[in-house]
Amino acid sequence: MAAATDAFTHRDRCAIVGIGATDFSRDSGRSELTLATQAARAALDDAGLTVADIDGIVRCDFDSVTHNALSASLGIRGLSYWGEVGPGGVAPCAMVGQAIGAILSGQASTVLLYRCLNGRSDVRFSAGTAPTVQRPVGGKATYDEFYIPYGLMTPGQLFALMAQRHTIEYGTTPEQLGEIALTCRANANDTPHAQTAGRKLTMSEYLASRMISAPLRLFDFCLESDGACAVIVTSAARARDLRQPPVLIRAVAQGAAADTRGGMMYTAVTRKSLVELPAYTVASKLYERAGLGPQDIDVAQIYDCFTISVLMQLEAFGFCEPGAGGPFVASGAIRRDGSVPINTAGGHLSEGYIHGMNHIVEATRQMRGTGAVQVADAETCLVTGGPFPTSSALILRKA
Amino acid sequence: MQPFSPVITDKDTAGFFAAAAEHRLVVRSCEACGEAIHPPTAHCPACGSWNTGWRDVSGRGQLYSWTTVWHQVHPAYPVPYTITVVELQDVPGVRFVGRLSGEPQLKAGMPMSVFFETTGDGAVLPNWQLTSGEAMQS
Repeated sequence: MAAATDAFTHRDRCAIVGIGATDFSRDSGRSELTLATQAARAALDDAGLTVADIDGIVRCDFDSVTHNALSASLGIRGLSYWGEVGPGGVAPCAMVGQAIGAILSGQASTVLLYRCLNGRSDVRFSAGTAPTVQRPVGGKATYDEFYIPYGLMTPGQLFALMAQRHTIEYGTTPEQLGEIALTCRANANDTPHAQTAGRKLTMSEYLASRMISAPLRLFDFCLESDGACAVIVTSAARARDLRQPPVLIRAVAQGAAADTRGGMMYTAVTRKSLVELPAYTVASKLYERAGLGPQDIDVAQIYDCFTISVLMQLEAFGFCEPGAGGPFVASGAIRRDGSVPINTAGGHLSEGYIHGMNHIVEATRQMRGTGAVQVADAETCLVTGGPFPTSSALILRKA
Repeated sequence: MQPFSPVITDKDTAGFFAAAAEHRLVVRSCEACGEAIHPPTAHCPACGSWNTGWRDVSGRGQLYSWTTVWHQVHPAYPVPYTITVVELQDVPGVRFVGRLSGEPQLKAGMPMSVFFETTGDGAVLPNWQLTSGEAMQS
């Protein structure tokens, strides 16, 4: 084990100073590069910065837009740091961590993070990971040859296998998963920019929605969205002179389970337990670095590609015992007036799916006190990343 | 389109499919420490040995989890079908995926047995069925 002496040096030393987003829609009508540029410009305006202030960019490996493309589009003249994190939804919190690393090591002063996708009108994740042409699948340590030939070819099917196993071990019910969908929807209903702002969801509508991959129904799945989000990170010292009240990054952590397998995600079925996420490792590192625990978290943005991913992460981040996620959410604990309100803008399930980056934007709003569904007196916000194959998370706090 | 065949020429997994072609189910295993390594790698992650090879296993297991797929994502995989996750009886912790047609009535722990299917282009794929015979259709 490495000594922990260097593990606390980033605590509260950097801040989120700018956030930006486009509209979230089913068809943006513009390129992903334009979306990213618009979100980045909005984040710069929000921070009171100009493109001349940006010297670093960190991107997500699933993004179609490269650092160079965004830098060229924005007119950044002196990009001197860039990085990339993945895979996919695991990235956003870790992207913040990479920005912190660049800033505290003197490689950058002000770093732009972004995620843009035409996730509904162009490449849809619901189409799965099988090739679009007839060819053998797998090889090169993807291990797809053990999964795709059997028809296991979408993230939703994998999370359905987890939900079924969670039901086997703990008796988790559809109504408990439905409570997560309804909580996110109710928050989105009061968030004007959310894709489901005007569309209520009742438990009977949830239960009657069509089965996609049992036990997961339509409303257990996140939206597919077109849109982009951007976030600007700089040092806490520099943040004090900028337009917005700085939101300090208390701590960031990445983590892999001890028995993480190769491949993108389907190999999760071979881990010791299908219902024990890498998030357990992330949570212990994150809380140690932050000097905080679950009891200190006032509001949380929990990565919600599916309802079951929320339920299992609530367990992993210590809000309830392992296996007790069902009764915990059924108690109303995650509602806006509960002990840990989650996904206050509606999350991926009901706000929009910007692959985790919209969670960081909403977390920043909550710490500024500007959320449409604002948690009163919230001073700390947890944000979690995609749960497979590895994960990441961070804690923000009000300065 | 036909259902997907596995790549059977990858240097780390070819031995699995070569055994399947002989209707044998094998698991990558460390000769030094006995670790079962699935998905397979040439290097043993438990002890660091490179002395790994393929071990024959019984082809019996128990049902660990499953999902019946109702939303079709690929024309060669008509719904409903059921993806199964089977844990090996003689190598606990090692799990394989299989596919049953329709929406069989399943319970965790049901005994499962391997059988071998030949895909469109001649690769052989291990698959899993209920040991008591065909799954009951609902």
